[in-house]
Amino acid sequence: MNVLEIHGLTKKFGDFIAVDNMSLSVKEGEIFGFLGSNGAGKSTTIHLVASLLRPTSGEIRILDQDILKHSRFAKMNLGIVPQDLAIYQDMTAYENVKFFAGLYGLRGAELKDRAEEALRFVGLEDKAKSFPKNFSGGMKRRLNIACAIAHRPKLIIMDEPTVGIDPQSRNYILTSVRKLNEMGCTIIYTSHYMEEVEEICSRIAIIDHGKIIADGTKEQLIATITDVKEVRIELKQQGEVFLELIRTIPGVRSLTAKEEEIRIYSDLSVDNLSGILKRLIDGGAVIRSVEEQEPNLETVFLTLTGRNLRD
Amino acid sequence: MNTLSIALKELKRETRNRWTLVFMLAFPIVLMLILGTALSNAFGGTAQVGDIRVLVRDSGENPALTEAFGVFAKETSGMGLSFEPLPTEMDGRSEVEKGHYDEFVELGSHGMSLYLSGRNAIQSNVVQGMMAAFAEQYNAILAIEKNAPGKAAATMAAGSVKTRDYIKETSIMADRQPGSLDYYALAMTSMIALWSSISASRLISGEIRQGTGTRLAASPVGKGEIFAGKVLGNLVINMLCVLILILFSKYAFQAYWGEHLAAVLAVLGSEVVMGVSLGLAVSYVLKDAATQGLLMILTQVASFFGGAYFPMGADEDLGVIGYAANLSPIRWANVAITRIIYNDQVSVMWPVVALNLSIAVALLAAAAWMMRRKEGL
Repeated sequence: MNVLEIHGLTKKFGDFIAVDNMSLSVKEGEIFGFLGSNGAGKSTTIHLVASLLRPTSGEIRILDQDILKHSRFAKMNLGIVPQDLAIYQDMTAYENVKFFAGLYGLRGAELKDRAEEALRFVGLEDKAKSFPKNFSGGMKRRLNIACAIAHRPKLIIMDEPTVGIDPQSRNYILTSVRKLNEMGCTIIYTSHYMEEVEEICSRIAIIDHGKIIADGTKEQLIATITDVKEVRIELKQQGEVFLELIRTIPGVRSLTAKEEEIRIYSDLSVDNLSGILKRLIDGGAVIRSVEEQEPNLETVFLTLTGRNLRD
Repeated sequence: MNTLSIALKELKRETRNRWTLVFMLAFPIVLMLILGTALSNAFGGTAQVGDIRVLVRDSGENPALTEAFGVFAKETSGMGLSFEPLPTEMDGRSEVEKGHYDEFVELGSHGMSLYLSGRNAIQSNVVQGMMAAFAEQYNAILAIEKNAPGKAAATMAAGSVKTRDYIKETSIMADRQPGSLDYYALAMTSMIALWSSISASRLISGEIRQGTGTRLAASPVGKGEIFAGKVLGNLVINMLCVLILILFSKYAFQAYWGEHLAAVLAVLGSEVVMGVSLGLAVSYVLKDAATQGLLMILTQVASFFGGAYFPMGADEDLGVIGYAANLSPIRWANVAITRIIYNDQVSVMWPVVALNLSIAVALLAAAAWMMRRKEGL
C-alpha cells in the first residue's frame, strides 16, 4: 500500500517552476530518502505534501485520500519535523508536546499519556518541566521530533532533523527514526549528510530542478552508474586552482575540489589517469596520493546532477 | 476547542513574557506616578475666598431700605460676609482702594450703590451676586407693598419670595473634577488599551518567525480557528492589563474611576478590540520591522494628541491641536470616560464603543481576508 502518492505535481512561483510535473510514491513501512541540493525543489515538495503550500497543478494523496479534498484526514495522519525548530522557547518541553498533540484532537488523560510517551521516546522525560531555551541543540531537535509524533501519525516527514547537532544526539535521532519505522511509521527523510541517508533509508529519490531524476534503493541507484569511475587525488596545494587544467581531458565528466583533494568522475571506458597526473604535475601540483573509489551514493548524485549535495 | 487551546497558550506565553509586564504594566504605572506628581499644579483645585469685609455707609434717608438691609446683613453674617458701618471720618472708596476693606456699599435716598475693588474677582462676584439678589427681593417686596399694602409680610411667609437664597450657583462644571493622578490614571490606561496593537502585530508573524507557524499550519486546525484563538488570547491578556491598571491606580494611587465602572470598561474594552485589529491588519500589509515601526509611530502620535502626556480637558477648546486630537482613539476614550466618571453621562459610551467596534470589524475582516489568501499562515 502506498502511504504517499504524488501525480504530475507542479508548483510555480511566478515564472519560476520549483516543482516540475513530479510523480512518486512512498510505500507503507519505508524510510524514504529525499536527496537534492539547495534549490532543487525538495523543501517545496515537502511543504506541498504538508499542505503548507497549494499546488499549481497535480495531485497528492495520503493513504489514498486527496489532501485537498480530505485535508483534515491527511493532516491527522501526517507528522512534520521542520528543518527550523518549531517549538515555543517559553513553554516547557511537556507543555510544547501537549499543546501540539492537543491540536490533533487528543484530550484529557490520553493527551497527557501521549505527551509523556513522546518525551520518553526522544529521551527527554526527565526534562519535561524544563524550558527549551535552556536545552542544547540536540535536545531541542529531539523535542522538535517529540512534537511531531505524539499524535502517532502514519507518515512522518523529517526535514534535515540532524542539522547542527553533536554526533551523540545525531546517533540518538537516527536510532529514533529506525525505532519509529519499526513501530509502523512511514518516514520521508531529507538530509545533507549522504552517509545518514545511506545508513537508514530503504529507498532514495534524487530531485534536481524540480524533477525526480532517480528513484530506487541505494544498490539500484549505484548500479545505474556502471560507466563512471571516481578518482581522488590529494595534493599538497589547494585543489581548486588546478581544476581548469584537467577539465578538458577526454573522458572527464565532472570535477570537484575540496581543500587539497580533487575528485574526478570519468568514463569507465577511457583510461585517462596518466594524462590527468601529467597535466597536474606540469601545472606545478605536488601529488600526495591517488586513489580509485568504488561508486557510492555521492558518486551517483554528482554524476546525475553535476553538483555536490551540499552545493 | 482548538480555538480555546490556542487562546490559553497565548495567555500562558504572554504572562511569562517579562516585556509584557514591563511595557503594558510597569511603564504606564511609572508614568502615572511621574506625570501625576509632576503636573499636579496644572489641574484646577479649589480657590480659597476667605472672609469678605464690606464697608457700609447708610445715610439713613431711606428707613425701609435701612431696615431691610439690616435683616440681610444679619442673615448673611454666617456666610463669611461681614458688613461694617463706615465711621464718619472715613472715605469708603479710599478705604477699599487702600485694601483695608474688600468692597463698599452706599445706602441712600436714591437706593443702593456698590463699589467693587476688583482685586479678587471671585470675592467681587460673590458680593455683586448677593447684592443683586438682595436688590431684586427688596424691589419685589416694595412692589407687593405698593399694590397690596400690608400683604408683603404674608407673601414672604408663604415662601413666594425667598429671602434667604441670596445666591445659588448653577455651574456647568461638575462638583468633582479630576486631579492629576485621576487624569493620568485614565490617560495611561487608555493609552495602553491602544498599545495592544503592538502585541497583536506579532500574533501571526511571531509564529512564522519562530518556526511554529509551520507546525500550526500543518495541523488539522483551520486557519480561522488559529486566527480566532490567537486574537481571543491577545484580547484577554490586553484587557487583563487594562483591568490591572484600573485596579492598581484605584487602590495604590487612589485614582477616581467613578460609579460606572462597567461603562468605563466597555469603552476601554472596545479600544482594545480596535487596537488588536489594527495591529493584525497592519502586520498583514507590511513586513515585520516596518509593522512595528509604523505602529509605534501611530500609537505615539495618538498618545501625544490624545492627551496621554500632557493634560487635555474633556471640554477644553484645543484650537488647532483639537483637529488632530479628535482623530486619536485615546482622546475619544478619554473624553467619553471623563464624562462617564465626572458627569454621570453613561450614554456617551455608545458612540465611542460603536466607532471602535466598527473600525475593528473592518480591520479584522481585512486581516482575515489577507490571511485566507496567503499560503500557510
